[in-house]
Amino acid sequence: MPKSYIEVLVNDEPREFLVQPGTTLLVALREELGLTAAKRGCAQGTCGSCTCVVDGEAVMSCLVPVETIQGADVRTLEGVARDGGELDEVQAAFLEGFATQCGFCTSGMIMAAHALLAENPDPSREDVVRAISGNVCRCTGYESIINAILDAAQRRKATGGVQYVEGGV
Amino acid sequence: MAPSVEVPESVGDVVGALAGEGSVVLAGGTVVMPEVNTTAHDFRALVSLRRAGLRGIEVDGGRAVIGAATTLAEVGEDERLAVLRPVIESIASPTIRNLATVGGNLFVKQPYGDLAVALLALDAEVDVAGPDGASSTRPVADVLRDGAGAREVVTAVAFDVPDAAAWRYTKAMRRKQNSASIVTVAAVLGLDGGTVGAARIALGGAGAKPVRATAAEQALTGGPLDHDRARAAGEAALQDAEPFDDAYASAWYRGRVLPVHVRRALLGE
Repeated sequence: MPKSYIEVLVNDEPREFLVQPGTTLLVALREELGLTAAKRGCAQGTCGSCTCVVDGEAVMSCLVPVETIQGADVRTLEGVARDGGELDEVQAAFLEGFATQCGFCTSGMIMAAHALLAENPDPSREDVVRAISGNVCRCTGYESIINAILDAAQRRKATGGVQYVEGGV
Repeated sequence: MAPSVEVPESVGDVVGALAGEGSVVLAGGTVVMPEVNTTAHDFRALVSLRRAGLRGIEVDGGRAVIGAATTLAEVGEDERLAVLRPVIESIASPTIRNLATVGGNLFVKQPYGDLAVALLALDAEVDVAGPDGASSTRPVADVLRDGAGAREVVTAVAFDVPDAAAWRYTKAMRRKQNSASIVTVAAVLGLDGGTVGAARIALGGAGAKPVRATAAEQALTGGPLDHDRARAAGEAALQDAEPFDDAYASAWYRGRVLPVHVRRALLGE
């Protein structure tokens, strides 16, 4: 079966590549683009470790055939840190709040948090729980993650909102 | 073998793409893609609805028409459909609701498909497109019972938006967020003063498909909406239920709690 030619914007950078039919966004990111922050956990949309932001919405990238999102704006964890590698508020809050242990869920958690804070800069604890309800963490017990996302909202208020790296990773 | 992916740009082209053997509609992908990723499926082609123009919500004169490829998140964010927000919020997680669609929910296995349960209580109508430009409008109960044809696609769902005072919904879950249903109860009550003039009650987690609790409806109709009658309706709901075992709950447990949740839903407890 012929490969498909895909053009998408990934972390502000236009990317083009060929994929086998039926390739998911997750596999395309990891195997075509070498962006391995999004993890393959369950491949069923249950664990959230592959969460990316597509056209502003947090989605499970394992459930999205990349051929269906031609031209989309995709953001992954690799496109979250600021220019020069300075961590953004969510990353910094996770690091300093010990919100990551084994790290497997962290990428998905941070992307779900990003989508939340873009839509709701001042979330309640309940809003945070709701936002990460599709993301499974088997280490932390969630409290440190929830606290880190609330902390990130406060940090972001202090620094004046989200900024992304120009030109991608 | 990996299936091909078609992204048709019209309903006609969707139906055309479904002609091939092993073709399946791909709406949000939250049910089909897990099968593609993790099972020995026999899909040959995934026919995406993403660009087929089936996304959008219209509300006119109290009647809502929702395109089949509208996401659950979009329904949940629509102020005109605020009465249905508890239904949407009870389904999976925001990241899944950003993908999962209204049309797709009609084809989800129980104990998922809570919106389908609500649409059954709302007596929704479903628009279906088929080969050679054919289109039909069917009661949602028929679509839930029979599914759609192999070369058909649901294009829209329509229903009268209920008054908040007439609408009832409750879903018993294993936890507050992101759990399949133990039992789900949705109802539209026609209240005339203190008397229930008419009732449509639908159940999830009570059979292989969402079901109407007709015995409960009869038990409730024609009298006041009080504790005793709501309790009797809850007991009657078992007559239309065939509770099942799964990882979320046993059939015994579902049967045991169903009357309680029907009563609580009806009384808004």
